[in-house]
Amino acid sequence: MFWSKIWLFLLALTAAAALTVALLLPRPAQRNLVRGEVNRLQTACSVIHILLADDARNRIDLAGAFSRSPEIMNALEAASSVPQLDEARMKQVRDVGETVMKAIQGSRKPDFAMLIERRGRVVARVRLDDGDWGDVAAGRPLIDDALAGYLRDDVWVQNGSLFFVSAAPVIKQGAYVGAVVLGHQVTNQLAQTLVKSLEVDMGFHLAADGIAGSRTIAFDHGPLQAAIGKLGADVTTDCQQVRPIDVRAGADDYTAIAARLPGEAASRQAYYSVLIRRPEGLGFLGTLGAVKDSDLSLGNFPWLLVGGAFLAVLALGIGLMFFEVDRPLRRLAADAVRLAKGDTERLTEDIHGGKFGSIARSVNIHIDKLGRDARSARKDLDQLLGPAPEGGLGTIDLLASPLPTARPGGPAPAVPPPPSEFRFNDSGSQPSYKPPARPAPPAWAGASPPPLRAAPPVAASPMPLAPSPPERLAERSPGRAPERAPERAPERAFDRPPERAPDRSFDRPPERAPDRSFDRPPERLAERSSPLPPDRSGAFDDDILGRGTGEMQPRVDPYFKQIFDQFVSMKRSCNEPTAGLVYERFAEKLVKNREDLMLKTGCRDVRFTVYVKDGKAALKATPVKDEA
Amino acid sequence: MRVGFLVGILSSIAALAGPVQAGTVVGKLELPPPPERGPVTARGFVDRIENPLADIKKPSLAPYLVVTLEGEGRADAAPAQVSWDVVGESFVRPVVAVPVGAEVVIKNQTKIARNLAAAEDPKLLTGPLNPAGTKSFRAAQPAVYTIGDQDAPHLRGKLVVVATPHVAAVDDSGRFEISDVPDGSYKLRVFYYDPLGEAHGKPSGWLFTTDVTVAPKGRSTRTEVNAKLPPLTAAAGKK
Repeated sequence: MFWSKIWLFLLALTAAAALTVALLLPRPAQRNLVRGEVNRLQTACSVIHILLADDARNRIDLAGAFSRSPEIMNALEAASSVPQLDEARMKQVRDVGETVMKAIQGSRKPDFAMLIERRGRVVARVRLDDGDWGDVAAGRPLIDDALAGYLRDDVWVQNGSLFFVSAAPVIKQGAYVGAVVLGHQVTNQLAQTLVKSLEVDMGFHLAADGIAGSRTIAFDHGPLQAAIGKLGADVTTDCQQVRPIDVRAGADDYTAIAARLPGEAASRQAYYSVLIRRPEGLGFLGTLGAVKDSDLSLGNFPWLLVGGAFLAVLALGIGLMFFEVDRPLRRLAADAVRLAKGDTERLTEDIHGGKFGSIARSVNIHIDKLGRDARSARKDLDQLLGPAPEGGLGTIDLLASPLPTARPGGPAPAVPPPPSEFRFNDSGSQPSYKPPARPAPPAWAGASPPPLRAAPPVAASPMPLAPSPPERLAERSPGRAPERAPERAPERAFDRPPERAPDRSFDRPPERAPDRSFDRPPERLAERSSPLPPDRSGAFDDDILGRGTGEMQPRVDPYFKQIFDQFVSMKRSCNEPTAGLVYERFAEKLVKNREDLMLKTGCRDVRFTVYVKDGKAALKATPVKDEA
Repeated sequence: MRVGFLVGILSSIAALAGPVQAGTVVGKLELPPPPERGPVTARGFVDRIENPLADIKKPSLAPYLVVTLEGEGRADAAPAQVSWDVVGESFVRPVVAVPVGAEVVIKNQTKIARNLAAAEDPKLLTGPLNPAGTKSFRAAQPAVYTIGDQDAPHLRGKLVVVATPHVAAVDDSGRFEISDVPDGSYKLRVFYYDPLGEAHGKPSGWLFTTDVTVAPKGRSTRTEVNAKLPPLTAAAGKK
């Protein structure tokens, strides 16, 4: 059992470890997934920034081309030469700008244009606030740089919208005559174009307001604003600096990253966000759900290894159980069967190890206890019934003989009684007593009861019957009145405590004693239990000698009648009086004695033997514990 | 337009401060070489690119200079009002000198509301400046204020409050003129507003100081001052 327990412990430990691994394994995968999503977000953010920068270069080129238009150069040169601008000039320059804008080819046509003279005054606006003119646009970094001769881009906030703007100086014959600004509005279409190949969503935001996006995703901008508020001055590294943020849009969860837009708009908290739908948590079941059929194919999964390991573990477990449980248990069971059959008196403790050895020892201890109890019971019976000649369980001097003066070392009988030593089963090495078969009973009131086992006949007994004259009884018992003898015999025969019989009877099942004692039909059992019919039992007096005998004739048990006849014959041969000896009382006494003895010893049956004791007829009861 | 405003301001100052026996202080400042353009402000997605057709223009120093003439122990009357308009995406001049006690009136000549405030004293100028609206305040003591729009970082100007009514701007050639200056001894100081330096932590301040004596010499009431300004510290970076 030790190694089985160790093996069970190892199996449980392995199972726990396997369960732990199964529950833990998805976590690194989940972290990798999240890390991968973060990388994807940062990559998409960076790609968008690159795309916007590339778009800025294109827009700058477009502004340069726009500024090199001769119509634009001429118009701004003329506007720069006058101290005051007027509406007519504004309209003329605006028309020029509109014409040039219409000539622009490509998909990224500007949404507005500003034409600025060399001192920074706005000569005309095209397509956006085109009625405003004359204000000083100088001061804005983009325009200052353009008036100084630079081409550059910027991000403006105009009328609540975001514009990617680009500017270029207008130079005519080496002299600066002004600058042009082209603006491209940030729209949903632009956002969709940017994320077309990235499998992410994006949006442009101005503080808490959404400006445009690849898809309408309404979420709380607060966390993103807070995140970009902690960033440094360099906006080009925002995609690597900002940590991904979990946002919730309706019923969908997203992971978002934000990056500031550069230029003037940065001061207005303009930024763009990149979002991906948050992957479902993997977990153990999620991992199982993600397993594909191909993962379990023979080529991708070591089924042979798993199967071999399973068989090895199973074989080892079975082997341990066989060697430590099954085989010892079978050995113990076989030993118990031998014990039950009587092939052995005790279980063999040496061949049983561990707990089985303990069981065997416990059983043996109980067997020893039963033996001691049996010897004690025999002693009690001997004390109760008188000494048996051969030291048997006891004899009953039922009718006339007095109690022995001393037991068991009293004088041995002249003729040894039948052996009272009982064994559960006869063994070849030990003598045992087998009561002879009873003679077939006579026919019983028209019924045909099964034959009863008869007590050994007197003739078969080795003790010689020494008859004595009836007067001898009186001579040997001068102080005893003949009528007292029957009264005294029951007192001597059954002077045990009344509660002892129930105690002994609990050693076996309650129904077992009748079953083992009377393997005959119930009516016959009743006949054996009481030699008299119930309706007749009250007709007898309490005198065994027949005083007060009723008129009704009792039913006669053949076995008891046989014993009775033998007893009467023995008394006559011993010259003892038999005048008061009545069969009914005799049989009643035997029945009671048999029942008491069966309760006390747990025997199956009781045999009665007639013999001579001290020159007087005596009767001996011998417990029978097994079938012959 | 800008020159017109300048003339108006100077005229109003001269009219308010003109005592009976006064002269005019004129001068020419020899301007130092302009500094290189600093790093790009409000950079977009890409760096600015120099055009291939013409040289990059040098920034002009003159708009960022003001001249003051402070008398020793004198307390001349200050002008009643000084206008300093927002003309678009900038003030009419990036820097203006204002005598102590004068009312500074800022008018918004654009169609965009501005939220102007003084960085040094938030209580000096409060509330929005609506299109075509005005804001006014009085400076009680000499100080330098940076007035700007928090929504438009590029819109920023320097207000120099001085304890003299004799102030003047400098034209592109470095000339200035202060009229109605009573005779006496003065200190001529030049203030330089360096927005690029301020963006990099270098404060603007007084660039030059010299003594000037104003005394009638016969019929001439003109006092000429010629001075050479020290070189400016180059701004960090070029782009």
